[in-house]
Amino acid sequence: MSSKQQAVRARPSAGWALLGSELSVLFRRWRTWAMLAALAAIPVLIALAVRLSSRDPGPGQGPPFLDRVTQNGLFIALTATVVSIPLFLPLTISVVAGDAIAGEANLGTLRYLLAAPAGRIRLLAVKYAAAVAFCITAALTVVTAGMLIGVALFPVGPVTLLSGDTISVGESVLRLLLIAGYVSLSLAGLAAIGLFISTLTEVPVGAMAATAVLAVVAQILGALPQLDWLHPWLFTHHWVGFADLLRQPISWDAFAANALLQGGYIALFCTLAYGRFASKDVLS
Amino acid sequence: MARTWKRWLPAAVVPAVIAGGALIGTVQAGAATELPDKTPQQLLELLAGSDVRTLSGTLEQTSALGLPQLPTDGPDQSGMSGAAAALDLLTGSHTARVYLDGKEQARVQVLDRLAERDIIRNGRDVWFYSSKQNEAVHMTLPERSGAKEHDKYDGEYTPERLASHFLEAVEPGTEVTVAEDVRVAGRDAYQLVLDPDSAETLVDSVSLAVDAETGLPLSVEVQARGQEEPAFELAFTELSLEAPDAGLFDFTPPAGATVTEHAVPDRSGRHADRGERQGPDAAQRDARHHDAKHRDGKVEKTGEGWDTVVELSATSLPEGWAESPAMAQALRKVDGGQLLSTALVNVLLTDDGRVFAGSVTVERLQAAAEGR
Repeated sequence: MSSKQQAVRARPSAGWALLGSELSVLFRRWRTWAMLAALAAIPVLIALAVRLSSRDPGPGQGPPFLDRVTQNGLFIALTATVVSIPLFLPLTISVVAGDAIAGEANLGTLRYLLAAPAGRIRLLAVKYAAAVAFCITAALTVVTAGMLIGVALFPVGPVTLLSGDTISVGESVLRLLLIAGYVSLSLAGLAAIGLFISTLTEVPVGAMAATAVLAVVAQILGALPQLDWLHPWLFTHHWVGFADLLRQPISWDAFAANALLQGGYIALFCTLAYGRFASKDVLS
Repeated sequence: MARTWKRWLPAAVVPAVIAGGALIGTVQAGAATELPDKTPQQLLELLAGSDVRTLSGTLEQTSALGLPQLPTDGPDQSGMSGAAAALDLLTGSHTARVYLDGKEQARVQVLDRLAERDIIRNGRDVWFYSSKQNEAVHMTLPERSGAKEHDKYDGEYTPERLASHFLEAVEPGTEVTVAEDVRVAGRDAYQLVLDPDSAETLVDSVSLAVDAETGLPLSVEVQARGQEEPAFELAFTELSLEAPDAGLFDFTPPAGATVTEHAVPDRSGRHADRGERQGPDAAQRDARHHDAKHRDGKVEKTGEGWDTVVELSATSLPEGWAESPAMAQALRKVDGGQLLSTALVNVLLTDDGRVFAGSVTVERLQAAAEGR
């Protein structure tokens, strides 16, 4: 009650100040950097493995796009994205989103945050915005690390799309950034789920693990043909749909469907998180 | 207490809104529209008079043929043999984009997961490209038989081809009716229903949505006897009748791709291929086309209309196809041979090496095998 009145009285810039401090806390933690470094290591490892092995991967062998890498280094970014989408990216998002509220509660800093003129809605919004910022950073890290290592180790030239057409290097960099945007969007839904789970507990590890497990379970359900009625409702359903951005002409269908799906998940789990967080007694 | 309750309110409203939205979506999709009435005859004329030559659209295909479903998300589909690829087209769901500009330019893109298969025709050049294998096949069509080749290579995935095939079967043995109007891909359409009178065919009914404005077939749906969901469905989900970007038909194989020059099949080969293409199973035909294999082989027909049974010599089939694991799984032992049974087509491989196929019951195939 009192927090609500304070929130109303607070200056409008208080939210931005809080977001700024939240982001600086997030990106000054060594854990965040360690996770980003691990993500950047994925394309580097793939590139080194391909570079150092004497045998070129044949067509259709290994993860998608791997056979193109020796001809064009930019494909490293695509291979790395495909490889990290099922587990590595969701894992890091789970850590950040699961830690959002539960981490503060665990450290005993949550009530101080609420005592400051912030308000619970604003705090929740800031926490979610920080998690989304991390989603974007994580996706960009994989894609840019892939592009850089690809340029360093392999020849770079016009990129062959799935349709067999060829586009210039400039346009392919643009499409890779679009793919990073698509992946960030996909992860934003998971971040909302993580935020909600984070309000349920004061044990951050529990929230992180539960979020990561949910991401894996959703993907397993998505692979079972017997459950195909459920598939369009799974938040992981469009995760690999970014391939549509590699067709000529670009197909925006998957992007639109993914945005709608993730929007639904974000709306549902952010309101659930609000319901839980606004009505719970903060004791720590 | 009331306060606490209110804070959960948004969380209750969101699913309600989503459910409402989903409900409105399905109601709109199935909404019937009212068009001036037409007789089947008028509708067939509208269909035959269709002169749509430019379009770009998205096609959605689903099959429920009762074949064992192959996992589509498997880690390795690269080594897929011809037979497995055929089964994949028969069992799975597919999305394809179609671009047409005149009789001479066409492009079909089958959108796979993280991959794509393209067929591009530009004048006399026909290209086939598969992104998974990164290989391209090129064919140059002979100049004179343009119309026939158009019929063969163009719009393999458009309802137009499938429709004309079924219309050939319109005969005294079929009841043709006009069902209530539908909306397909955002366009008003008439619905033509073909109902076979024969008791021996597996086809229950075939419905065809015909665009009210242009007469272009917008969807084809084949119902099989004793099955609730359509056995085969092919429909536009998006359609624009404007000419697509000309650059789309301009295909150069990408650097690094394996390019194969394929000779255009001679006349006899084409003839056999035609024969094999009997039976309303377009997907199978498509898979054969995809292989771009043309074989010699004798084809004999027995029966008429829906009850047609086709006999193929075993040599007309790809070697070792019955031994492939996917086929072995689908085959079942019956009297006189092995049966590949689907909702729409039965194929009988007799013990003495002959192959009988048709959209008919097993008994009918066995009777044909025993000497008609």
